[in-house]
Amino acid sequence: MRRSAVAYGFLFPYLAVFAAFWAWPIVQSIVYSLQNTRGAVPVFSPSANWGRLAGDPVFLRALGHTLAFLVLQVPAMLALAIGLAVALNAPALRARALFRFAFFAPIVVGEVAYSTVFRLLFNGQYGAVNKALAALGIAGPDWLNEPVSAFAVLVIAVTWRWTGYNAIIVLAGLQGIPRELYEAAEVDGVPRWLQFWRITLPLLLPVVAVAAVLSIIGSLQLFVEPQLITRSGPGGATETLGTYLYQQGFRAFNFGYAAAIGYAAAMLALVVSLAQVSLFRSRT
Amino acid sequence: MTSRRPGRGALGLHLTLAPLALLWLMPLWLMVTYATTPEADFLQPGVPLGLGGALADNWAILLAQTPFPRAIANSVATSLIYTACSIVLTSLAGYAFAQFRFFGRGVLFALVVATLTVPYVVVVIPQFVLVARDFHLSNTWAAVVVPPLFNSLGVFFMRQNFMALPKDMLDAARVEGVGELRIFFQIALPLVLPSTAALGIILFLQSWNNYLWPLLVLSRADAQTAPVALGALVGLDRVHWGALMVGAVVMTMPVLAVFVFLQRYFIAGITAGAVK
Amino acid sequence: MRSLRLTAALLAGMTAPALAADKPSGTITVWGWNIAAEALEHIVPAFNAEHPGVTVKVVNMGHSDLHDRVAADCAAGGTDMPDVTIVENQEAGLLWNRFPACFADMKPLGYDAYANKFPAFKQLDLQADGKVFAMPWDSGPVTVFYRRDLYKQAGIDPQAIATWDDFIAAGKKLSAATGGKVKMATIYKGTDDEWFRMLAVQNGCYYFSDDGRSITVARPGCAKALAKVKDVWDAGILNVGGWDEQIQFDKTGAAASQLYGGWYEGTIRSNDADQSGRWGVYPMPAFEAGGRRASNIGGSSLAIAATANKPAAWAFVSYALGTDAGQISMMKYRGLVPALLSAVDDPYVKQDQPFWGGQKVWADMLETLPRIVPYNATPYFTDARGVMKVVVNDYLDGRYKTADEALRVAADQIAGASGLPVAP
Repeated sequence: MRRSAVAYGFLFPYLAVFAAFWAWPIVQSIVYSLQNTRGAVPVFSPSANWGRLAGDPVFLRALGHTLAFLVLQVPAMLALAIGLAVALNAPALRARALFRFAFFAPIVVGEVAYSTVFRLLFNGQYGAVNKALAALGIAGPDWLNEPVSAFAVLVIAVTWRWTGYNAIIVLAGLQGIPRELYEAAEVDGVPRWLQFWRITLPLLLPVVAVAAVLSIIGSLQLFVEPQLITRSGPGGATETLGTYLYQQGFRAFNFGYAAAIGYAAAMLALVVSLAQVSLFRSRT
Repeated sequence: MTSRRPGRGALGLHLTLAPLALLWLMPLWLMVTYATTPEADFLQPGVPLGLGGALADNWAILLAQTPFPRAIANSVATSLIYTACSIVLTSLAGYAFAQFRFFGRGVLFALVVATLTVPYVVVVIPQFVLVARDFHLSNTWAAVVVPPLFNSLGVFFMRQNFMALPKDMLDAARVEGVGELRIFFQIALPLVLPSTAALGIILFLQSWNNYLWPLLVLSRADAQTAPVALGALVGLDRVHWGALMVGAVVMTMPVLAVFVFLQRYFIAGITAGAVK
Repeated sequence: MRSLRLTAALLAGMTAPALAADKPSGTITVWGWNIAAEALEHIVPAFNAEHPGVTVKVVNMGHSDLHDRVAADCAAGGTDMPDVTIVENQEAGLLWNRFPACFADMKPLGYDAYANKFPAFKQLDLQADGKVFAMPWDSGPVTVFYRRDLYKQAGIDPQAIATWDDFIAAGKKLSAATGGKVKMATIYKGTDDEWFRMLAVQNGCYYFSDDGRSITVARPGCAKALAKVKDVWDAGILNVGGWDEQIQFDKTGAAASQLYGGWYEGTIRSNDADQSGRWGVYPMPAFEAGGRRASNIGGSSLAIAATANKPAAWAFVSYALGTDAGQISMMKYRGLVPALLSAVDDPYVKQDQPFWGGQKVWADMLETLPRIVPYNATPYFTDARGVMKVVVNDYLDGRYKTADEALRVAADQIAGASGLPVAP
């Protein structure tokens, strides 16, 4: 009992912020999701929003894009992050600080600057990317104005910004693997690639699981890039759950429907994350 | 470690990593060159790969269009206060979750982590209503700093760190009658200091780049933070590309410098948190 | 004691309104975006000459930021609302419908004296339930802004462009003359549907019926407009971009003209000051020879918050928008097309404009106002636009066989989002 009192003493300031500034807004937004909020006075009507989701083509399209992003981008980014972390951890690497800087720096850049640079980079007519491709004899697409390439820009932008962040997490895990394991394997003549497969990867799994869960949650809330870089276009080709719920909440002032979209995304994030964690658990 | 000889493998490593690193630095370098590019040269044939001569002009436009120095000062102040407070709150909470078995621990921790899945845009309106209408906190530093102190990731991270501490050592102190708060501040916290510093950097960055919340709660122009001041340059009648980039460079470079300086500690700190 | 208080209250009750009407005072905050905010700031000294007791603080912010803040502030019951804010006409219905208590009714403040100073169609969106929530500011008569030098180089005579087919032919000529580098105009393809709306309103068609009770976007007038947008698009004579890019295209000469609302005049004039004398305007092309060459896109108004310093806010709004001095000054400074009827007769309107190569651009643009077909944006404008930006894009990309088919799909989706029926 005393232990509980002490524990709650430590938790108190944090929980106080939660109670004062988060508990009620979360409850309120759940209540919104059960109300028709199109008029001046909200009316209780759970089907107004939750019933609308399944038949709303825009929601379904946003959901499809979000899931496609999740399936395409997250594994690719994590694989790249693992590769980068292993490379950055390699004893033979020179100028380590410089390389680390290069990959970690994007995390620091603010979203307005980041998105403006990417819009300029991927401008079909004048952008640096198509200039570089042209130098290689490739005619680049009008990136932001064609559906597939606009989606590719999202993937590229998010990968640029977040791979380093994930690589740090993985790098931390790598540095926790005891050197003796590799030395013993070396003595036994186990080739490097097999060492990676048999020692590095299994021992990294818990850390990769954390990175994966954070990336899954981030993908289901994907907002900054489709809103500011591709503007959810062209023709809704990069509409995500994040942009659609912003559109409903802040543009159409339909807080109830926005909340329903948001909590649908949250439930999805919860389910995918739990599935992910249990998958990793069963492997180790 | 010296037993691994640099050979063909090392060459291949550098040959793969170097171009990739250049590719990664390109957008950042362009941000710098764009900051020195005259406005008329944006979206023109020719990408400014080198520095141009319009830095002073762009800076002057930035100063004329936004209260930028004031906004930077506001950002520095709010971000530092936020970081300090958040470190204290998240480490206290992380410590409780890691070191005590208490009633409701599992449920409470699950709840804290589960809030990560809720998109912020959903919560922000009722949160604003609460802060602005019910607490009358608009245009105060408390409004910018306090609500984001509920940082689930920080608690998760600090809990991992404190779980790695040897319980025996803390219990030994308890047997000697040392108070719980002293155990926390004098024994436990110093042991996880590198991790705390790493978390500090992440928390600082979150606050430094925060956009929507400061936009809503700070309606007075002299209270604005730097991202909001820069955001005001977008989508306007006259688009000040160069000025925007100057502002971005001013916001990014000092933080990058600190990051480079602390890099070693940063990774060591994250490592400590990742390994149990 | 009691009677004394009563007397004081009576006195206060008798004198307070009179005082307020005579001498509004205090500080008011005004939110605006872009050139609109600059224009408001421009007239503050003249306003202060009449109302020295009122301090006006104009805050200029991006469209998106302003919208986000109004949403949050109104949801919070109007805390932190500025005294006066700009409201786009097409978004007005949504605001009044959702947050009626956030804005002050202008009738008790004296709006009736101004009601007949504005055309009826400009006031339709700004009133609901017998209340007046905003005063009209500018309208957006659609016109073509063009570069005289670039047209001349390509051998295009703007006076000869009477129909959309002429426009397309001119665009092809321009492409041939510049190796495809210079385009005829800019389209926000896939991020907005403004081209469709400009041509639909020209054709007397809109998303919704005039009474706002049904969806009319699948009607023939709209289908014809959409098909014409595709003709223009298919000719390969349009740049694709957003607002920022469009402005840059004007600066760099990547576009020889732009189709937009009259308020775009100020954007060109303030961005491209070094191009004085090179610009001109001509009426939007018609669907067929002799057809209507008038439409509207955009246009704004000023609303007063329910929490405002009302006498001071009203003094400012009624000066800025309800007097020739205010409206003409803002038109001169930033090219905002006055909705105030009397302003149309101001001598300035009939003057040659040096920036526009000596053309009487104001007379030319304002002359089209009477022929603009009114339309009702309703509280569902945002939903409809969200659907249409996708459908228009898909149609331009060839994913529908006919414009009619595309618009039927759109109408069904708008019905799903708004709950309104599709008109037969």
